[in-house]
Formats: sequence, C-alpha cells, structure tokens
Amino acid sequence: MEKKLGVYICTGCGIGEALDIEKLEKKVPPKIKVRKTHPIMCSPEGIELIKQDIAEEGVNTAVIAACSRRVLYDVFDFGPETVVQRVNLREGVVWSHKPQEEGEVDEFIQEMAEDYLRMGMAEAEKILPAEPAELEEPIDKRIMVMGGGVTGLSAALEVARAGYEAVVIEKEAQAGGFAARMRKQTPSVHPYEDLQEPVIQEIIREAEAHPKVEIRTGTEVSRIAGAPGLYDVTLKPTGTKNKWDIPAPVEAAEGAEAPAQPPMADEATPENPANILAKDPEAERFGAVILATGWKPYELEAPEKPAEPAEAAEGEEAKKEGEEGEEVKEALSLEHLGYGKLANVVTNVALEEMAAQGKILRPSDGKPATSVAFVQCPGQGSDEDFPYAAAITSMVALKQAKYVREDGGADAKAYIFYQHMRTLGQNEYFYKSAQQDEGIFLTKGDIVGVSENGNGSLVLEAKDTLLGENIKVSVDMVVLGTGMVPTTKDDPVLNLAYRQGPGFRDLDLFEGYCDSNFICFPYETRRTGIYTAGCVRRAMSIQECREDAMGAALKAIQCIESANRGVSVHPRSGDMTFPDFFFQRCTQCKRCTEECPFGALDDDEKGTPLPNPTRCRRCGTCMGACPERIIGFSDYNIDSIGSAVKAMDVPEEDEKPRVLILACENDAYPALDMAAMHGLTYSPFVRVIPVRCLGSVNVVWIKDALSKGVDGALLIGCKFGDDYQCHFIKGSELCDIRMDKIGEALLSLALEKERVQQVQIAIDEYDKIPGIISEFMATIEEVGPNPFKGF
Amino acid sequence: MANSYWVEPDVKFVKQLMGLGGETLKKCYQCATCSVVCPISPDEKPFPRKEMIAAQWGLKDKLVGNMDVWLCHHCNDCSTYCPRGARPGDVLNAVRAYSIQEYAWPKWLGKIVPDGRFWWLLLAIPVAIFLFVLGVTGHLHIPEGEIEFAHFFPTLLVDLIFVPLAMVWIPLTFGIGIYRFMTDIHKNALAEGKTKRKDLNIPDFLKSIACALPTILSHNKFSQCSENKGRYLSHILVFFSFLGLFVVTNIFFVALYILQIPGPYSMVNPVKILANVSGIALLVGAILMISNRLKDTDANVSKGSYFDWSLIILVLGLAVTGLLSQYIRLANVAVIAYPMYFAHLVLVFCLFTYLPFSKLAHMVYRTLAMAYSRYSEREPCE
Repeated sequence: MEKKLGVYICTGCGIGEALDIEKLEKKVPPKIKVRKTHPIMCSPEGIELIKQDIAEEGVNTAVIAACSRRVLYDVFDFGPETVVQRVNLREGVVWSHKPQEEGEVDEFIQEMAEDYLRMGMAEAEKILPAEPAELEEPIDKRIMVMGGGVTGLSAALEVARAGYEAVVIEKEAQAGGFAARMRKQTPSVHPYEDLQEPVIQEIIREAEAHPKVEIRTGTEVSRIAGAPGLYDVTLKPTGTKNKWDIPAPVEAAEGAEAPAQPPMADEATPENPANILAKDPEAERFGAVILATGWKPYELEAPEKPAEPAEAAEGEEAKKEGEEGEEVKEALSLEHLGYGKLANVVTNVALEEMAAQGKILRPSDGKPATSVAFVQCPGQGSDEDFPYAAAITSMVALKQAKYVREDGGADAKAYIFYQHMRTLGQNEYFYKSAQQDEGIFLTKGDIVGVSENGNGSLVLEAKDTLLGENIKVSVDMVVLGTGMVPTTKDDPVLNLAYRQGPGFRDLDLFEGYCDSNFICFPYETRRTGIYTAGCVRRAMSIQECREDAMGAALKAIQCIESANRGVSVHPRSGDMTFPDFFFQRCTQCKRCTEECPFGALDDDEKGTPLPNPTRCRRCGTCMGACPERIIGFSDYNIDSIGSAVKAMDVPEEDEKPRVLILACENDAYPALDMAAMHGLTYSPFVRVIPVRCLGSVNVVWIKDALSKGVDGALLIGCKFGDDYQCHFIKGSELCDIRMDKIGEALLSLALEKERVQQVQIAIDEYDKIPGIISEFMATIEEVGPNPFKGF
Repeated sequence: MANSYWVEPDVKFVKQLMGLGGETLKKCYQCATCSVVCPISPDEKPFPRKEMIAAQWGLKDKLVGNMDVWLCHHCNDCSTYCPRGARPGDVLNAVRAYSIQEYAWPKWLGKIVPDGRFWWLLLAIPVAIFLFVLGVTGHLHIPEGEIEFAHFFPTLLVDLIFVPLAMVWIPLTFGIGIYRFMTDIHKNALAEGKTKRKDLNIPDFLKSIACALPTILSHNKFSQCSENKGRYLSHILVFFSFLGLFVVTNIFFVALYILQIPGPYSMVNPVKILANVSGIALLVGAILMISNRLKDTDANVSKGSYFDWSLIILVLGLAVTGLLSQYIRLANVAVIAYPMYFAHLVLVFCLFTYLPFSKLAHMVYRTLAMAYSRYSEREPCE
C-alpha cells in the first residue's frame, strides 16, 4: 500500500500562542502535499477537513499534531483503513514547558515541537493498518470449568445464564466441594447476623437442572493443549494415568548430553506420556477455561512422637533441621499448640466436619465439648495468623463459636484468641452478633502454650491479652484457625501443554494463590483464556466465591468472543495487531519463547517459535527480546520507533543536549500527560516516545539514539518486583535486565553506562516527573556531551 | 507461667449485669475511647476500658471489690463517645448495683431490695409494724383537736422504732458489708498493682477520708462531667438536703430528750427553716433527677434500672409526704394530715432499713472507695 500522508496542525489549547506555527509547518517535507492548520482540529469543521482529504485527496495516514494520543482518540478515528498518528504538541510541549521570556516563542520549545512533528511523520511512514489474526480452525464457545464446588458450579451457572455452554469437571464422586460438608455458612443476607443453611445444595440442584450445564464427576484433566477458542482437552477418570498426561519437564544438566525427549503420540504410554506437541485426536474442544479448583486445608505437621526422655535432644535436632528447610521450621513453631500430641487440639476444618455430622464432642473421650478455645494466631511473639489464613478465617472462628453455643447449652463457652479479627463490610454485623453472645469471649492474645489438664481437658495460656495480664483458661478443645491453601500451590493443576510449563509461573509472588495482578486485573492469569475464581485466587467466603465466579465467567466469555474476532482480550482489548515473525532470519535462540510473559509461543523440535495468536496480549515483549529484530506489529515495530528515533534532530551545540525518553504507555505516559495538565514543567531537551510496555523496548533503539549523538536514554516504566504494576507482568522487569546488559555494551563503546537508565513510576506519581527528568538531565550534564555527536 | 491469671468466665454473672442496666456491655470492642474521654479517671490504669472486658468475660473477681468501679460518677461521657453503644457508664453502674447486693448482709435482703417484684413487701413490712404498734397502744384512730402528730403516733414509739434502726440495724448490717468491701478493694488494689501500701492502716485511712471530703462536699468530680451537667445540680441538692435533714433530726432529738422541748416548733425557728429549705431542696432535686432521666433517650442519659428508679421514687416520696404532712397540718385537715404523716414514716423506715441494700448504699461505698484511692495514692489528697 502506498503511503499518503496528510499533516494537520491544531493551533488551539495554547499551541498557536506558544509556537511559531508557520515555521513549524515548513518542517513538513515538500513531498507531503496535504498540510493544514485549524484553530480547533477536534471541532466538527476540523474533523470534516480531514475526512474530506481522506475522501478526495486519498490521504491514508493522518498525522495530527494536537493533543496527546490519550485523549479524543474516538474523535480522531477515521475507520480501520486510515492510520492516525498523533503528535503530542499540547501536553508534550506547550503545557509542560514555559518560555524563558513570557509571551515570546521560545527557541528550545519550538525545536521540541519541530522534532516531535518530524518524528511523528517518520513513524507514520512505517505503520500500516492492522488486520485481525485469522484462525485456521473454527473456535468452540463451550467453557470448561475446573472444580465443582460453590465457585465452579456458580461460574457454570453464570456462563449458562449468559447463553453459553459450560462443562464442569469435578474430580470427586460428588459435586459440592467443601461447602457440602459444612453445618452452616456465614450470613449472606440482611441482617447479616445469623448462621445460614449452606446454599450449596440449591446451587447443585440448579446446576444439574440447567440444560446448558453439564457436570462430570470423578473426572480429571489430563492435558489442555491449544489456545483460547481452540483448547483441546483430554479428560480422564480421577486417579488414573493416561498417555496424554503432561510429561515431566526434561532439562539438560549443564555439560551433560541432552536427555531423551518425551515420545511422540504413537509411542507414548501412560507411564511415558506424549510430548506437549503431540495432539490427542480424541480431545474435546473448549473455548476458555475457568479454574475453580479451590483450596485444601493447611497441613499442620504434627511433631514426631519422641520417646519421653529423648524429647529435649529431639528438639535440638529439629532446630538444626529448621535452619535448612522452612517447612520444618513451621512445624516446630507450632509445637507449643500441642497439635498431633493432644487429641483435643484440632483444626477448624476438622471441627467443621465434626459439627456437620452432629454435636461437637471431645475427640479424646466423646464427651460434649462445652468450652472451646479458638486460636487464630500461633503466637510465640509473632502476630502473624496461621499460614493462608484470611478474613474468612476470622469469620469461621466466629461461626464455630456459635456452634459451641448452640451445642453446649446456656453455660457453654467459646473463647477466641486473635491478633486480627477481620470481618469486612457487612460481616461486621456478624462479628457484633457473636460478640454480643454472653458465652463468647474475645481477646487479642499471644498463645504461650496448650497443655493437658489430666482429665482430658486442656489448659491454654496466653499473654498480652486485652485483660491486661497473662491468662490461663481451662477448655475441652482447642481449635486452630488454619488457612486455605490454594490447589495451585504445589500442583500445576491445569496440565497445560505449553512450552513454558504445565502450570502458572511465579505464583510464589502470591504465596501460591493464582493471580496475575490483584489490584488491576482480577480473574486474569498469566495464561490468556484461563480465568480463576474463588479460593484458588484468594481465601474467600461462599458469598465472595459466588460473586467471583460471575466475574470469571464474564471474562471467559469476553475471551472467546475476542478470539473469535481475532482481537486481543486484555489489557489491549480490541487490538487487532498481532506480532509478525520473519522466520527466515530466526536463529532459534528461543528468547521470545522464554520471555513471553503469557507463554503465547511454543516451539518445534528445532526451537522455531510456534505462535498462538489467541494466547497473545500484544505487549511486544517478544519484539523487545528478539536479537534479530524479526518480530513486529503492523503499527508498532522496530522500524517505526527506530525511524522516529532517527528523525530526532541532534544539534552539535553543547547547550542543547538531547535525551530520548521511552515511556510505557500504561503508567509513565499518562503520568507525563498528567504532569502537564497540572502545570508541572520539565526540560525541553527530552523527546518522549510512548511504547506499549518497556518489555517491548529493543536495545537497537537505544543504540540508534546513542550512535546518533543523543546524550542519554531514560526509560520510564511500571514498578516491578513483588508489588509489580506492570500490565504485562514481566515487561518492566525484563527491560531492567536488558538495560543492565546494555550498560556493558556501552562501556565497550567508551560510553558511560549512566547514559541509559530505567526508572519506575506509578500512574498517580505524576508529581515525580519533573524531579526524575531533572535528575537525569543533571547526570547527563555531569557525564558530558555524547562524543558521537556530529558523526 | 505461674503468674497467669486463671480465667473462669461466669456466664450467669454477665447476664445479671445485663439485667441491672448493663445490657449493652457485650458491645464493647476494647477501643478504649471511654478511658480516654473520661474526665475523672486516673492517668495510670484508667477505667472503664478494663472493667468493660472484665464484664464481658464475666470476671466477677475483677469487678466486685474493684475501687475504680466506685470512682466512676456515671457522667456517661464515655457512653456518649462510645463508638459501639456499649455504654460503659451504665455498665459500671450495674456493677455497683451488683456489688451492693454482693456485700449485703443478710444476703436475702440484698436479693429482694433490688428485685422489682418485691416492692410491695418492702412497703408492707413497716406498714404492718406500725399498724401493730399503733393498734397495741390504742392509737389506731384519727385524734380530735389541733393536729399534733405526737397525738397520733407518740414520739416515744417513733423513736423506739427508729433509734434501734439507726443505732443497731444500720451499723450492724452495713458494718459487715463495709468490712468485706474494704478487705476486697485492698486485696484487689494489691493484685492489680494500684497501691504500694501492703497493709490497711486505720488511722491513715481515716486521714484519707478527710482528704476525700472536700471533693465529696464540693461535688467537683460531678462538675467535671461534660455530658451530664444536670446531674451535678440535682445530686448536690439531694445530697445537702439529706445532710440538712440529718442535722435537723439530731437537733430536734436533743431538743426533745435533753432540753425537754416537744414539737411542733414555730415555723420561724431557724432549725425549722433549715428543715423546710432542705425539704424543698430534696423535692426539687428529686424532680430534677427524674426529669433528667426522662429527657429523651440521648446517649448521655441513662435509662436506669429498677434499682436506680426505686431510690429516686423513694426520695421524691419522702420530700412530698414530709412537706405535705407539715402543710396539711397547718391547714388543719386531720383526715389527710395523719395518714400523710403515717406514709412519711413508712418511707423513712424504708430509707433507714434498706439503706445498706439500696442504691443509697453508694453514699458509703463510694466515700470509702474515694478515700481508699487517696490512701493508695491512686489519686492525690486535696
């Protein structure tokens, strides 16, 4: 397609006053015939002007020099055939820079505007309209729900109510999960005070009766192959082996010969299952997966029963072991609670199961338990709750305290020793109702120990209580408020036939809970098409699980419908571009396959990437990773950004330094715009180019800039690490690693590594922008001008 | 840990406190706003936060015999600011009511005086005694001629009933209660580290009573309350009118038996004037107390239980029957005057006899606790 550019300069919003527009217009090369200015380009007249040129002059690429691309994008939309390139004169130039002399056109600011216009035109030459990825096979819109508990069944019902079909896979013989083994549940309706009959039976009945819901019990997932819209799932009876199970990953030890790869389909056996590229011809096709496999009880490790006199020595040994492995340490620190040693010390899960069967009885002798202590925190100087505990654990303690009062008569006593009583929202009413029961006693407290009292009853000692002193109580039972461990903690669960492995990556960031970014994107995972809900995501109440199920169901449907149209689901919803690989030049280095945060790429035996368009989120991390620079998008590629970088004018005068800023469009670029809207100003020597994600930054752009004489490059992106805010999970972190490596390359060019820096910013930290930029400018001044200037 | 406190919650005790006007006690979530806003709580180990959890947990030993419970003047500043509506002021009031029963001897009286079901019995006892005495001595009729109460109920008979009540009954019953009370609050103060004085030394303690007197007489604890200023006036009126009437009674006792001057005395007699002023102050005080409590149910106004109301009604009854007896006597309406006087005597009997068992017992317990708090150096001596 032949490019025909039109350049449109808006003089409104202060642009016309701050800049010499005539001079600016002269920077448009003569070959571009269509060039217009308008006092209000976004007005109907302005838009009409552009539309006319598209229709009559054949303009297919409109370079609009006006405001930021983050505003009025809907106004400047001329259909999929016309490329729109925005040049940010308003926020990027005139609002964020003050002339040295009031009312005059400032030289530096004018140069900035001219540069941006040049860069915009250069980039526009290199971009093409996007075309949606076309799938080779028709997609299936059915949704597979893994897990038949409250969450899974609720999700299936939500899917069905929205008009889609759901298949629930439950490994147990009965659907219902733990909710079906409970006596009562915490209240979900006004006045939020009384225990409620579990809703699970009703949900099961409803799901069984719904024509669009199918429940398969006693079934497990052997393998999920494919991609959103085209998942090929092999199912198997619970507990059996199958030749389609995901083979254990084989990794060559360093220096050793590569071990034997898993066999192809025809040679595979249940003991030696097929490799991940093999396709099960009998697999069932699904469009998306909802993961609702829930939780399992936290396993308290009972201390080993030592011979009486050897106890002390055993303890020391355990201490030594504890230094090595964390799990042993956990078990050790719980020893004072007597779990495993004293029969009447049980977990909240065990108590719930007992309560569902009948009255609460002491396990030691079967006598009614009329006084029970609930321990929410193991104590010993720490105020941490039991591992994997959450607000729900507080609610469970309050609920079970009510059981004790129900069962034990008027004088029954329930004590709750806590460090945190977490009853959020309406649950506060439930807390109040329990608190106002005269037989329920609450206090903060650090548990010193639990010991036997002779007749089967226990003595619990606590310090730092609200009673102002150390206390002892005699109780029939002690119930430990242990947490809910997500099923994804030690098990991939999904069994994905993905190059990056069968489960999710980096879940240890969330203690094994299955999440990609809690705050911004609930339900999302690092595997497009797989959405999580319920306790696999976070310890939740039944009510929360039901709400969560609805969210995940809607996400799954959104995914299928996006895959169907060949567009991105999230977070670049509706993006039609897709990374294009120029395979002839691929060196099979596998960096793209390994670095893709979403496992979108598999590879063949040789290591050539196998793209899966519907798994892709269009972040461009592969493009940033590729050393051969063979990956790009139609509207965002090495050449388009590289051309913009090269279009920068680099004067030789020392008083006009130049710095390239590559700003992530998710947090950093909005922060720059916001700084301008708040009247904050920064150096006129910087040139900002927005990028999809710092992960998409290819080092060649930095090299291009520096070899051109640009004095430094500053990369502004999202926070990474434990509390990362990167929309693509790993982008800014990967970029940081790459920039670290570029430092070495710079040194070899006799350039100081201070010339390239990366900073992290959150979207609301616009006030930090001037400081970040002036600090970097100061560094550049210190380092001095780039010696490559003028070459 | 050997020094751990054995917690044995008494669910029944919790329910009893709830029944004595502390029905909100379980709502406390231990934020300690109450201890912060209390204008009269000491800085160290302030009340009522710690009393609230003791009440929730039914820890009788931490409440009965705790001097702090008596240092509280029921301002209800705490109840106003309590974010949970736990009304600590009312809870401490309930604890005091319970303590009075606990220290009562004989115990059964301690049980029936605060029990709303037995009010008729408490009234029937003096009525029966008086009717019997009057009947036996042949006075069971309205006398002729100018009204003189001694004609109807001979002074000697009155004194034969009331003097032993005042001289024997009250000291005996109250004495036992006081002894146990003092032992307990000292033990509790030692246990909770509120005093460094190991023993209870009587002469020093008497000095501490003197220390506390200015505060008691000036009511300056009441005047520190910000939410319940009305109570300062009503309480000081009732307090000084009782004091005045006590003085008047003693002077007339001396006048009658030592100076041999029988009543009724002239209305311009200074003692008589004091009596009338006191009577009117008592009436005004009682009416103020009632109206304060009946004002809408603001957070700062406690609704009160039967235990509170029975004393206020008694005070009102004393003032009304006392003043009316005198005015109707002066108006010379014998058929009303004599029964009114009879009713007045019945109420005075109730006041005396049930003193150690009613809310009025606070006049002794609170005085002792305030003295002890100075003795223990919890509060400074003025």
